[in-house]
Amino acid sequence: MTRTLTLIVNGEPRTLQAAPFASLADTLREGLHLTGTKVGCDAGDCGACTVLLDGEQVCACLVPTAQAEGRAITTIEGAGPAGLVDRLRESFLAHGAAQCGICTPGMIMAAADVLARDPRAGRAEIEDGLGGVLCRCTGYVKIVEAVLDVARGANAFAAKADAGAAVGARLARVDGRPKVEGTDHFGADHQPEGALWLRLIRSPHASARFALGDLAPVLARHPGLARILTARDIPGENAFGIFPTIKDQPVLADGLVRMRGDPVAALVGTRAAVEGFPDADLPITWEVLPALHGAAAALAEGAPALHRAVPDNVLTRGRLERGDVAEGHAAGAATASVAFETAFVEHAYIEPEAGYARRVGDRIEVTACTQAPVMDQEEVARVLGVPMHAVRIVPTACGGGFGGKLDVSIQPILAVAAWVTGQPVRIVYSRIESMASTTKRHPASIRARMSADGDGRFTAFEMEGDFNTGAYASWGPTVANRVPVHAPGPYRVPHVRNRTRAVYTNDTPAGAFRGFGVPQATLAAETLIDDLAEGLGLDRWTIRRRNALDHGDTTASGQVLHASAGLPQCLDALRDDFLRAQADAEAFNRTSGRVKRGAGIACMWYGCGNTSMSNPSTMRIALRPDGTLTFFNGAVDIGQGSTTVLLQIAADALGLAPDAFESVVGDTDLTPDAGKTSASRQTFVSGNAARLAGEDLRRAILSLANAGPDARLRLEGACLHVENGPASRVIDLTTLSPDETGAVLSGEGRYDPPTTALDANGQGVPYATYGFAAQAAEVEVDTVLGTVRVTRIVAAHDVGRAVNPTLVEGQIHGGIAQGLGLALMEEFIPGRTENLHDYLIPTVGDMPEIVVHLIEDPEPEGPFGAKGVGEPALVATAPAILSAIRHATGARLTRVPVLPHRLHAALHAREAAE
Amino acid sequence: MNRFDYVRPSSVSEAVAAGAEPGSAFLAAGTNLLDLMKGGIARPTRLVDVGRIPGLDAIETLPDGGVRIGALVRNADLAYHQEFARRFPMVAEALLSGASAQLRNAATTGGNLLQRTRCPYFYDTASACNKREPGAGCDALAGENRQHAVLGWSEACIATNPSDFAVPLAALDAVVEIEGRGGRREVPLTDFHRLPGDTPQIETVLAPGELIVAVRLSADAAAFAGHARYLKVRERTSYAFAVVSAAAALRIADGRIEAARLALGGVALKPWRAREAEAALAGASPGFESFQEAAALALAEARPSGDNAYKIELARRVIARALTLAAAGTPERLPALPGSPFASGGSLHD
Repeated sequence: MTRTLTLIVNGEPRTLQAAPFASLADTLREGLHLTGTKVGCDAGDCGACTVLLDGEQVCACLVPTAQAEGRAITTIEGAGPAGLVDRLRESFLAHGAAQCGICTPGMIMAAADVLARDPRAGRAEIEDGLGGVLCRCTGYVKIVEAVLDVARGANAFAAKADAGAAVGARLARVDGRPKVEGTDHFGADHQPEGALWLRLIRSPHASARFALGDLAPVLARHPGLARILTARDIPGENAFGIFPTIKDQPVLADGLVRMRGDPVAALVGTRAAVEGFPDADLPITWEVLPALHGAAAALAEGAPALHRAVPDNVLTRGRLERGDVAEGHAAGAATASVAFETAFVEHAYIEPEAGYARRVGDRIEVTACTQAPVMDQEEVARVLGVPMHAVRIVPTACGGGFGGKLDVSIQPILAVAAWVTGQPVRIVYSRIESMASTTKRHPASIRARMSADGDGRFTAFEMEGDFNTGAYASWGPTVANRVPVHAPGPYRVPHVRNRTRAVYTNDTPAGAFRGFGVPQATLAAETLIDDLAEGLGLDRWTIRRRNALDHGDTTASGQVLHASAGLPQCLDALRDDFLRAQADAEAFNRTSGRVKRGAGIACMWYGCGNTSMSNPSTMRIALRPDGTLTFFNGAVDIGQGSTTVLLQIAADALGLAPDAFESVVGDTDLTPDAGKTSASRQTFVSGNAARLAGEDLRRAILSLANAGPDARLRLEGACLHVENGPASRVIDLTTLSPDETGAVLSGEGRYDPPTTALDANGQGVPYATYGFAAQAAEVEVDTVLGTVRVTRIVAAHDVGRAVNPTLVEGQIHGGIAQGLGLALMEEFIPGRTENLHDYLIPTVGDMPEIVVHLIEDPEPEGPFGAKGVGEPALVATAPAILSAIRHATGARLTRVPVLPHRLHAALHAREAAE
Repeated sequence: MNRFDYVRPSSVSEAVAAGAEPGSAFLAAGTNLLDLMKGGIARPTRLVDVGRIPGLDAIETLPDGGVRIGALVRNADLAYHQEFARRFPMVAEALLSGASAQLRNAATTGGNLLQRTRCPYFYDTASACNKREPGAGCDALAGENRQHAVLGWSEACIATNPSDFAVPLAALDAVVEIEGRGGRREVPLTDFHRLPGDTPQIETVLAPGELIVAVRLSADAAAFAGHARYLKVRERTSYAFAVVSAAAALRIADGRIEAARLALGGVALKPWRAREAEAALAGASPGFESFQEAAALALAEARPSGDNAYKIELARRVIARALTLAAAGTPERLPALPGSPFASGGSLHD
């Protein structure tokens, strides 16, 4: 039922046909094509759709369109009251307040509401006013700073960099302007003319057989449906998976579901038809089978096998052994053990999976959000049964990923639907569907033991960890292999034995999530280190500093760290802060009653790139006869800023300013393979490829000009000036003959990090370099109510070289927010927390003050000395917070998240024990 | 979403007539209903949009000194109404501790009282829920239920009411004005919501077509303004429903409690008024012992409905804490900022 409605949007009356109860967000986006208003949850939980209604912020997803009739609607596309939106845009850009950009329009509109009411709003008012908009990337720090600056009347100024001065500059993101203007196109923002819509019908059962009945009568009853696709409609192989040898996840389940949310059929048709179709109209009979929830159930004697090829449900075993761990424990003056449990954690990127596919002759094009375009290309080709070159993947702006968009989700089924119907087909996952069906962080059960001698030097570490990988393999093997290398932490430990298992269950699949199991293992190890410090009467900072890996040390996998091992500097940078916080807390607690303060500390390390595997990147720079300089960058920017960072590197390697370039990012028809945006590898691996491409082009130019290595380049239209004192000359690009791509000069760089395979004992060089960090946390605990507030975090990170300090800080802030969530509130329960009000992620008010120390211990192998920071940002936060809670209360928590009921139980147990 | 009919009556009497038709649902701001419709949990065939009925959006001071809040007064407008917040600070504090700025700018007084439970089994159409489908059973009983009710629940339903606003209203003897085809009637807020019993699908005393037109607070309720707090324990700082909350208000003279008002949120399918605790507090001197005793009395009938025994102890502590805060006096700043224990500043350190 639609009617004619007139809306006043950004001052303009707009008349359209809409259902009166359709949400205003939907009407703006689909009816008026104003896609700057984003939809993250469609339930009022995330605030991405925030617009101003008569000047006040509301969630457009919960406003019935008819109720907006005649009222003034202001969206990100408008100027807002008193030009506020414009000023906020500039401030967000200059501060790096937009990362992926999906929450940015909502955040800016909420800020405009706050500042319109209170132009001199302070931090408290701003935090209160932004409390309803969730951001998963920034930790809100730079957002609040950006809004505060506007409130103070400061003029935003984004830095520019001259030729040769890009690396190290706080350049504004080069892809930032569309994000703050609401014109960036995310997966759901592409609205191809005449597209059909796709919706998956999913299993309500975690384990069941099923049979579908005759679909012809169903199609007849629903004339808007073009097709109902089932497993038999998949033209190629009905399976996908990360590893070439483990393609265990069906595109559409074929008679058997292994998890709640497995898709059993796909509806293709008009939007009204696919959305209005009652799932009960699908003729399906279920035979529900017992489900295995949790790793213990799947490992139990006699548990049925989820996958025929894996009778014991153990997908992968990881292993590392060095020295003799029994001897190491025997040499210790103190030994501690722990059993640690972690929960499923949801990525909670604010953009649910979305995109479209279209068939172009015998090729298919999939335009969707992703972290891994070339992997998507391989999977789509196999599922369609066509060669790789018949598939084009065009990544859209990616509204957050964090590992959750490394696996294909919508891509194969979209491709199938567009392939068989010949029409463009769109899909937008609902929030519930996204959370119910896509990967999570692995829940871990870790048992670990650690010993230290009388001086606090570690003598032995051992752990066994079971990781619940859910119904399908996804990145389970990566977790099982990465954890044994990292589990002892960034310390010298002579005797180590680590064993891991990734276990299939009937739960939601667990895959890649910022840290690949390392955050879980670090929680266990850092708890043990606090135990040993306590047992030996040592200070918690000192015991870490005494054992910290340094230049020349050997890791548990036998790798010698020849360079860029800056953990000692990180620890030194926060020493005074930590000791001061520790003393302050103890002084406070001597007289306080209910509220206790605590200071905690934790360290981490993280290998950049894939574990002992080739993971090359190739980058290309081309100069055309008209002087267009194009950076062909296949690395997908999921908000972390690789589009900017790689350009900074390429620019300095070539010797031209970043703004001389245009960028083509991540289109498999146009850009060479830069691998996945994962494993903190883009700055390091693709950065090296970008550097090599820049150097390659520079070499070509200098050789053409017969110039020396120090020559300066200047590009003016089609004239390339090569300035080299008396030998200076000008190359007229129009006189050069272009190659088949149209380029007259080009450079290419390929880089694959030097690693070696790990032997049966996990010995070798799994990573070319490691990021290191130490973080100190301060907390206040209400011991009566069981609540924790993190008040301050000092984070010292060795990043080799901060190519763009603003973006590096942004990664650290965002990682800390996710670490805080892991520690205190995030617990995904399949079927129960599949939305953003039951699954809680930190809001702006949950964030502590953050102080960042950037330590630059240059990595000779890295581009300009740089290494990755994406995952390192998160790993140390949760253990530092737990360490602080323990310092405050004496309660040793061995399960996260530490929700009030768990802390209550721990404090109660402690009281009872006394 | 289903297909519906949509009507927009221009008066209360038209709305009441339209709302009495089978399959009808009143739509105010829709912040809860639209969400429920998207998920297929609410399936009205006709939406009666009362959002533009004139005369329902006023905050009026009554001749006797009480206040009458129109059903369409938005949560934010009420919370930021200086005079209202000065006289009923606990209500403003509860409003500001609920939802987010966006939702408070839209959600209405009447709609807030009618919001449905957030029980995940109610929201999950693949689960059994007696509230959604009478007679289907309750999967929450043997499920993830650490957030569920500890007071007034039945085997048929262990859900809780999510409203913050309703808790101080219950404590302060608010009255709900209701209009139906038979005319106007008034119901004390404490009687407005029903406990689940065998019919958890019936959540309030409203008959089909009956519409909330206003909520009233008396001058007597304003007499507690000097010592009134709303304290909410939640799992993050903003936009989280209460694990347990308490609205505590005292009238103190000459160092003794003349009268007390106490209600709990997050513990039952309705805002839970603790009258026995109030009676015990009357005449007592404010302090640790009397507050502990009140807390114990308030939870005397509590029993876990699952893995939630901790909520009973937590509720006692929240009550004692809320009473302590109330006794210390309502903060100067009005409207008071959310009384979350997470909030930095004043309330945490005393």
